[in-house]
Amino acid sequence: MRFVDKIRKVIRREVRIWEHRPIFLLGTVFVMAFCTVFYLSFLQDGVPSDVPIAVVDLDQSATSRNFCRQLDATQLGRVIPYEDFSRARMDLQGGRVTSVCVIPKGFNRDIQGQRQPQMSFYINGLYFLGGSLAWKDILTMVNLTSGAVQREVLRMKGVPESQMGGLLRPVDVDVHQIGNATMNYGAYLANMMLPGMLQMVIVIVMIYSLGIELKYGTGRHLLRSVDGDIYAALSGKLALYTALFTMIGWTLVFILYKWMHFPLAGSIGQMLLAMFLLVIASESVAVLIIGCVPVCRFALSIGALYSVLGLSLTGFTLPVEAMPGALRSLTWIYPLRFYYQFYVQAGIFGSGFGAWYPYVISLLAFCFLPFTVMKRLAHAYEYLDYERN
Amino acid sequence: MKGTDTYLGRWFRDALGIFNLELRNILHDGGVMIIFIVAGFLYPILYNFVYKNGILEDTPIAVVDHADCSDSRRMIREMDATREIGIAAHCNSMEEARTLFQQRKVNGIIYFPADFGDRLAHRETATFSIYADMSSFLYYKNLLMGSEFVMLHEVNQIKIDRYTFDGLTDAQADQAVNTVAYEDINPYNRAFSYSIFLISAILMLIVQQVMFYGMSMSVGTMREENRSFASLPDTLEGHGVGRVVLGRGAVYWLIFMIIGIYVTCIVPAMFHFPQRGSYGDILVLLSIFVTVCVFFCMSWSTLVTRRESAFLLFLFMSPICVFLTGFSWPTSAFPTVWKWFSWLFPSTFGCQAFINLNTAGADLEIVAPLLRALCIQGVVYYFLACVSVYVENYVLKRKGALQLQ
Repeated sequence: MRFVDKIRKVIRREVRIWEHRPIFLLGTVFVMAFCTVFYLSFLQDGVPSDVPIAVVDLDQSATSRNFCRQLDATQLGRVIPYEDFSRARMDLQGGRVTSVCVIPKGFNRDIQGQRQPQMSFYINGLYFLGGSLAWKDILTMVNLTSGAVQREVLRMKGVPESQMGGLLRPVDVDVHQIGNATMNYGAYLANMMLPGMLQMVIVIVMIYSLGIELKYGTGRHLLRSVDGDIYAALSGKLALYTALFTMIGWTLVFILYKWMHFPLAGSIGQMLLAMFLLVIASESVAVLIIGCVPVCRFALSIGALYSVLGLSLTGFTLPVEAMPGALRSLTWIYPLRFYYQFYVQAGIFGSGFGAWYPYVISLLAFCFLPFTVMKRLAHAYEYLDYERN
Repeated sequence: MKGTDTYLGRWFRDALGIFNLELRNILHDGGVMIIFIVAGFLYPILYNFVYKNGILEDTPIAVVDHADCSDSRRMIREMDATREIGIAAHCNSMEEARTLFQQRKVNGIIYFPADFGDRLAHRETATFSIYADMSSFLYYKNLLMGSEFVMLHEVNQIKIDRYTFDGLTDAQADQAVNTVAYEDINPYNRAFSYSIFLISAILMLIVQQVMFYGMSMSVGTMREENRSFASLPDTLEGHGVGRVVLGRGAVYWLIFMIIGIYVTCIVPAMFHFPQRGSYGDILVLLSIFVTVCVFFCMSWSTLVTRRESAFLLFLFMSPICVFLTGFSWPTSAFPTVWKWFSWLFPSTFGCQAFINLNTAGADLEIVAPLLRALCIQGVVYYFLACVSVYVENYVLKRKGALQLQ
């Protein structure tokens, strides 16, 4: 039998398994479809709006009421008025409001008399995004209030309008966000969470597909059908799964950059290449795990532990340089880490081949992993001498 | 009276029998024990270790100073002195800075244009630019906060200088510039540490997920061996669903109270994590949360038919549950469908209650709405767990009857 025929035979066998076990398609297509819908619709607004801000207005003057109205009118904040501080503090501790802003008694009087009233605001930094956005919103509003008062004073002193800008704001900053100009939180997370979920699905499903041959003792049948050629057996299985996962991965790329129009400085072809490499690298990791531990259940537990931790160790939320030294090298065992670095070069900076080729090589290097366990896996399939369950 | 005693006595005897059986099953199942011990005990430590530092300091930034005046030099020195920014390179041109940026030797660029000093001298608004690497939001946050702190400080200083130059006294100038003084207080997470906010949310979730995978594995194993997790004692003639659910549940409850105490009380202490709540309150929360989790896992694990299927079908839910706790994307901004969806999971309320109790130092009165929601969930899932046992028995009996025919 030629090598190609053997592969064809294994593929036909695998398709039959899929027909009898809907869990394979459920665990791949359905899971990825659900994740895509979740991450894209959950974060569809890009930046949260109307985060609840408690305001304790002890002054009840025209100025303080105006402050509340202005704060409420911002896109970020929604003002919830409170009578006393202790009630507002309890809701801050209970996470029902993101921040508490206290306008002191005599606020208006002190402003008019130039006696520097002190405003206090309390942030709940445990709800990261809500807390920091509320902080930014209140700070902007306080500075604007301060600026408005100064403007009135300067106007009364006879300063011409043309000089006002320079006097009120001598220094300004012009912020450029490279790679995500609109600060879209959804784009930032979905860009890495979805490939991350795909890596997880690939590792788990691949381990399961190779593992059930051990669990149900069908490994010997698989090997016999290809004259004991483990390379053909594995190539057949991997060919089918690579086709499935690459299709899912490419669909993701098209959804992210063509349909959702998430920012991408490079070309979509580069991301398709990166996605294909992520797929084959993740499959290689799965083969390595089941080859090292040829017991389906153990291998799956290891795969689960490995892939869940992978989302954190990729370094797109907390950068790798902020992790303890010992863990930094551990990030190298994840294909997603190199996919992320590829994406930064190609997707954010729009760099060419010279900048991202090291990550292509790193991802390709993963593909050598299965060769180290081929013999061991063939032995396990043939003799089934490991614990089955 | 005697009848009631006998009924109660029998109830306890049956429940105890089921309890013993389930405990023996778990202890003899190496796979389940590995999940409980390795995942339950190791995961919290691993996560704490990954996020141990929590704060990104001195993000390397390149500076292009075309203004080359004393003001820009002073501002650069001040930015370098902030915790957030570390000036890693002084470049002659934007091209040079961009190369460093693309090589990822720096994570941002600060650019002072040639007219910066002149505009300041002419009393116009002088603008400088920052370019932030958005590959991680923490780089952006650091560059923005560091430069804004310096800018606000400089703005005030320059304004005071100008007013005093115009003939105001120092005190008058200060009053004119700082019309409204403010203090910002971030009592629970002073430095916006990533670890404090993430770990608080994740600890309770670990309890729920580990229990779910463990129980699903145990149910799947029984199904594979043609046994059922729901078999009622024959003597009961179809009654006694409650004792099966409670007897089995008690085993998991005990195991997970131990894991839960370790996760919520011992792990935070090991990593010097803020523990502002009282242990008593946390124990109350934990016991309610673990009870709800038991019924939740019992209801959902009914769908698992094989030992490994939980990993294939439900592993992806763990990161989704993290988002549904509302610790990062605020609950108030959840799309309605996902808000309802989040109510399916005990972790949604449990994690929030733990964040508030443990890290924000709230008391039970403050988290009462969350506890109430957990209790409602508990009641609903208890009934669902009972229904699943009842249905499973009904199906088994019919199968048995058909086979006999």
